[in-house]
Amino acid sequence: MKHIAAKSILVLLAALLAAGAISLAAGQGAAPKASPPVLVTSCGQSQGPAMLNVILKRVGVDYDITPLATPQDLKTKPYKTIIVTMGSSLKGMGAAGISIDDELKRIAELIDAAHKAKITIIGAHIEGMKRRAQGADAGDTTDEQSIDAVAPFSDILLVIKDGNSDGRFTAISQGKKIPLVEAEKNMDLVAALEKILK
Amino acid sequence: MNTLRKTIIIALGLVLAAFAGISFRASRFLKEPVVAGPSVARVATLGEYFAPIKGTANDANVFFLEGAKPGGTVLVLGGTHPEEPAGRLTTWILAENAVLDQGRIIVLNSTNRSASTVTRPSGAYPATYTIKTDWGGQTFRMGDRWSNPLDQWPDPEVYIHYPSKQNLAYMDIRNLNRDWPGRPNGTLTEKTCYALIQLINKEAVDIVIDLHEAELQYPVISTIVAHPKGLDIAAMASMTLSDEEFKIGMEKSPAELRGLSHREIGDFTKAIPLLFESPEPFLDATRGRTDARLLLEGKDDFVVRAGKRGLLFEKIDAKGWPIDVRVGRHCSTLIQVLSVWSADHADKAVIMTGVPKYAEIIQKGVGAFLHDPAKSDPKKIYYE
Repeated sequence: MKHIAAKSILVLLAALLAAGAISLAAGQGAAPKASPPVLVTSCGQSQGPAMLNVILKRVGVDYDITPLATPQDLKTKPYKTIIVTMGSSLKGMGAAGISIDDELKRIAELIDAAHKAKITIIGAHIEGMKRRAQGADAGDTTDEQSIDAVAPFSDILLVIKDGNSDGRFTAISQGKKIPLVEAEKNMDLVAALEKILK
Repeated sequence: MNTLRKTIIIALGLVLAAFAGISFRASRFLKEPVVAGPSVARVATLGEYFAPIKGTANDANVFFLEGAKPGGTVLVLGGTHPEEPAGRLTTWILAENAVLDQGRIIVLNSTNRSASTVTRPSGAYPATYTIKTDWGGQTFRMGDRWSNPLDQWPDPEVYIHYPSKQNLAYMDIRNLNRDWPGRPNGTLTEKTCYALIQLINKEAVDIVIDLHEAELQYPVISTIVAHPKGLDIAAMASMTLSDEEFKIGMEKSPAELRGLSHREIGDFTKAIPLLFESPEPFLDATRGRTDARLLLEGKDDFVVRAGKRGLLFEKIDAKGWPIDVRVGRHCSTLIQVLSVWSADHADKAVIMTGVPKYAEIIQKGVGAFLHDPAKSDPKKIYYE
């Protein structure tokens, strides 16, 4: 009889602990999810897509990289997710023969089309502080303009912690209620995207 | 009286010219020893790949480091710009220390040897610099960015790059990293690039690594610049190094800027070109006294002040950017690139040991990896 009572207490305690863990998870919001196929593009023509090319190969999902993607590209394949990398490269935009204004216009149209097609948007800032105004040439605000154009309109924010050291993405996440996934290191992005996309 | 004054002035001028001439000559003909390391199988010269280079100032030594197992081939270029000493010191460490288990590494310490025999006109550069070692020290030529005008002169009004026809700055016709892919009937520097292209093709080189340094006021710094076909290697290497050792970025070679190794080698050969940049405050326009101390310690109050005004693309503080840090970055980046390449190309892997990484070079100093020629087998000593 005593044995059964002890077992009952243990089961009850385990159930209470599990309930606590679930409620804790619910308090933080469910882990953000998205599905492949994925279209990767850039707002600012930095090296983010080249980094994601290496990362997504390791994640092992169906993806394409189109640095200058337009709404037309969303019709070429049944994409369920787009990842837009934030952070600008004046050299990259110069090589493509475009300006930050061209980029902001293109991305606004792409995000609008993605929302209408119910495609999940992941705003990714994965190049750290060098793709913030703090790491740019004096007076160059194109990195921050790129963030303003993408982050508030994303469904998920994926950032390297170093680039969020001033809490900019945390503030956007809390203000707009957008799940924020932070990775400590570059190669942690593999595990983060596996959780999101698999 | 007037004649006497003129004679004295001319005599003083001749004395000064004589002192300068002696200094220039000593620097130009300084012999820099290289003690061939355990994997050096043979040493050729660049002229063997293009006869018109034979016997010229740019008939540089070419060290072949070979492993027992066949694999890929990597060419490492030091001294494209000799005034960026981390490049030459990295290739010195490779030639003297690397042990190849698989594949081959081809090393040039003096890719533009002519440029290593002159310093910047009116730049007040030191003629030489010395790396301290436990056996005393090894002295190297300071060098410049451009080929020696004694070897290639005059410069044109405008340099028209071959074959793109892009107009470049006149003096860059003597800049090895604006002359790729070169041409057989061009200037000495263009012929040097042409000879290197022949080497790349004949030796079936898979990857070319061109080692450089940059001023902190230049945006392409602390980075790997990659031809589009090398972007994956550069991305993986930069992400891993940034996680594990030090921050380093990656850049795609712009198609519009011609003559650079990371563009033209990729366009004109099967090889994948990568260019490494480490920070060198000595090159900044706002530097103070331009001496060997600044070159090796990388400390400069004026550059620090420029940083405080947001004018730099790389951080700097009172610790500066010492040569050990800069060479350490190049060595670790090279090791990481070989690792990434070998992981994805087992049949063309290049497996190397014996070369120190970033932390070890900072701890022991570059000089710990230079070998004493006085205590080495004379048959293994080559001079740059």
